[in-house]
Amino acid sequence: MEQVVYRIRRFDGRKEFWQEYRFAHEANKTVLWGLLKIKETVDPSLAFVAACRSAVCGACAVRVNGEAMLACETPLDALLERFGATLVLEPLGNFPVIRDLVVDWEPKAARLAEAKPWLVPREEFSAEAGCRQSQAEFRRINAQTNCILCGACASECNKLTTGDDDFYEPFVYTKAGKFVADSRDGAAADHLRPVLARGLWKCVHCQECVTKCPKRVAPAEDIAALRRASIRLGLADNQGTRHARAFAGDITKTGRLNETTMAVKTDGLLKSATRLPFALRLLRRGKLNPFHFPAPVEGIDGVRAIVKAAKEAKE
Amino acid sequence: MQTFDVLVIGSGGAGMRAALEAGARGGLAVGLMTKMFPTRSATGMAQGGINGFLGNADPTDSVAKHVFDTVKGSDYLGDQDAIAFFCGQAAAAIREIDYYGVPFSRDGDGRIAQRNFGGQSAPRTCFSADKTGHVILHTLYEQCLKHGVKMLTDRLLLDLAVDDDGLCGAVALDIRTGQVVPVRAKAVVIATGGAGRMYWSRTTNPFASTADGMAACFRAGIPLKDPEMVQFHPTGLAGTGILMSEASRAEGGYLYNNAGERFMARYAPEKMELATRDLVSQAIETEIREGRGFGTGLSAYVLLDLRHLGREKILERLPGIRDLAMTFERVDPVEAPIPIRPSCHYTMGGVDVTDFRTGGTALAGLFAAGEAACVSVHGANRLGGNSLADIMVFGKCAGAGAADYALGRDRKAGDGALAAKAAEWEERLAAAMARDDGPAVASIRDRLAEAMWNKVGIFRRGGEMKEAAAAIDGLTEEYARCAVGDDSRVFNTALVNYVELGNLLAMAKAAVLGALNRTESRGCHLREDYPARDDANFLKHTLVTLAGTRYELSYRPVVVTDYQPAERRY
Repeated sequence: MEQVVYRIRRFDGRKEFWQEYRFAHEANKTVLWGLLKIKETVDPSLAFVAACRSAVCGACAVRVNGEAMLACETPLDALLERFGATLVLEPLGNFPVIRDLVVDWEPKAARLAEAKPWLVPREEFSAEAGCRQSQAEFRRINAQTNCILCGACASECNKLTTGDDDFYEPFVYTKAGKFVADSRDGAAADHLRPVLARGLWKCVHCQECVTKCPKRVAPAEDIAALRRASIRLGLADNQGTRHARAFAGDITKTGRLNETTMAVKTDGLLKSATRLPFALRLLRRGKLNPFHFPAPVEGIDGVRAIVKAAKEAKE
Repeated sequence: MQTFDVLVIGSGGAGMRAALEAGARGGLAVGLMTKMFPTRSATGMAQGGINGFLGNADPTDSVAKHVFDTVKGSDYLGDQDAIAFFCGQAAAAIREIDYYGVPFSRDGDGRIAQRNFGGQSAPRTCFSADKTGHVILHTLYEQCLKHGVKMLTDRLLLDLAVDDDGLCGAVALDIRTGQVVPVRAKAVVIATGGAGRMYWSRTTNPFASTADGMAACFRAGIPLKDPEMVQFHPTGLAGTGILMSEASRAEGGYLYNNAGERFMARYAPEKMELATRDLVSQAIETEIREGRGFGTGLSAYVLLDLRHLGREKILERLPGIRDLAMTFERVDPVEAPIPIRPSCHYTMGGVDVTDFRTGGTALAGLFAAGEAACVSVHGANRLGGNSLADIMVFGKCAGAGAADYALGRDRKAGDGALAAKAAEWEERLAAAMARDDGPAVASIRDRLAEAMWNKVGIFRRGGEMKEAAAAIDGLTEEYARCAVGDDSRVFNTALVNYVELGNLLAMAKAAVLGALNRTESRGCHLREDYPARDDANFLKHTLVTLAGTRYELSYRPVVVTDYQPAERRY
């Protein structure tokens, strides 16, 4: 391969357009190297940001062929091998774009602040004496502290793509989760309430945040941990928890879900009554049988043993 | 016009710590201005740790030992009163950020773990695996969110404005809109970081370390102190200069030459790989020069071997190092040694701070902290782990100093000076954007870096440095007619690079001037034509001041209290 082509989605503040840049291939370079090459030898007007170029500051995250990644650490050759000589570069998804590949972090920072992502130290600690924490407790927050706020998780989050009114960027849950998990923190509920109020149970489990995180942070796991913590702390009177409890109850009882009772258990009689037209349509099409009470599956004792073991397993 | 009591410029550890401190006073309008987004700052790249006497790993350690190690490490160019103050405050600063939420690695008793670091007589470096700076930066950012610090992101400092009544504020480029914006302030804290990018690609620094604050203060009449004192970190990745933390040597890494020798035995038989950064850098370059490195020319290197530490320790203590080596050199340190070479790392010199308790400068209302400032506690060589301590201790001091000053100041308007500066910059930027036939910014920048690395690098000679000075003058002349290459007002990063290059040229010129006239070898400043340290003539700080367009040199004696200069042995 002699030539590399970057096909870049550009935006000048008013209009959007596509532009192709060609440059000579060199072995063992990164995506960022290609962007710098263009800026310095072809077109100084191409806008992008980068800072540390060693994968710790998060500035240079972009979308290449539909996937968010850090330009500075991604080997160009690996992408060329996978996709051929032309790469499509776009700004991160689910962010407002300022110009070309540059996105606006300010609204994201404001949303992050809503989740109170800061330590509320336990009373026994002080600014003068600091805190105590075991190495095992430190390890419990070590993964989340790898988050560099690059925005890759937010870019690829399918729930955010459908709208951000009722869901936060995955990194927001990770930051909140870090403090709920921190043994030095004495106010788990303070970090939990804001994320509960906005979307904690609405993650669609697509796992894009986990697979696209360049720092091996797993926001989806943090979301799951926050949900467990919210139940443990009794902040459980919400649709998501009731839905999860109904799942757990059905599985323990029969090994299968009872779709007929699920809505009532999740939303209560009154609210689920508003879904009656939907239920009637299901009935009419033969998709719902109100007289069907599922019998326990074969080997239900095994299922119950699994549920019991899961309950006993340490969080 | 935006108006603040305290305007902090730069959002790394020093800036955010200063903003928090000023904000905590209550009743003051505090702004935090940065040319990027706060968590992109250089502090986040610091890996190894933060020094302070806690006595957790070694009960026989003491503040006095920290003081002596720092004085000796500085090759006696650090001011001993400032160093005593610094070491005395470091432990409290560390406990405080633990309380703010910094996740530290812990010892068996749940206290903050501490490890050995170069040039220290006890294990007093506190750490969070090998991402200490990253977690400190993010913790401070979280605290700024908590306290509602007003953040002005994407704003590049252009200049300070001063009139007969003193400091009026700063003028900045709003990168998003391309507008030159004046910002009123009673007090300003400069915390804009170092100047490592004058060596461009042979540096561990982020792209943003372009001396913006140093140059603005310089143009406002504040001297640059010890600008010739540039630290080279011994272990940058051979191909990119990216930092392999000193933690890699602290945890027991070995350095080998092409004959398989642990060559540090020749240079620092007692401390070996844990000698100071200046000595290890000079040792590596000597090995390469004398033909005992691998490869040739600019791509020559020696090896950093971690294999004997074992997989488990590498994964627990040095996971970031391993990732970087695998990503950028395609070497897994669990299985193979890492090719490394020194890389420009830290600017010991900077804005001349004249009051270490407040970060104050010769201009009332102007304070400086962090790598942009020269207090001086690092002298001619900074110890690993002292920079994060520096930004926590002196960031806080500068924030408090600026807050106290703002509370006591009844500001005169000063808008005339701000408007004049803004108009001057508006004209200059518009002209630069309009030119399309001048030399390219990147070309000037690359030639500057080449001159600096080859002639004002680890080894220095008078003749070569004179050539470098002439080259910088030539490049400065080219700069005056260079072309930006982008005339858009929206997020014009080419325009940002243009302003940054001007700052780098100014800083490089001061560095060469200081280095040329310091006819001795001290710490990182190694003159091959003057190999000995000369305390009789040079136990003093270089001060470079701008007079009109001329760079003027003067000197100030080093403060010596408890420790008379002695030969440095490791």
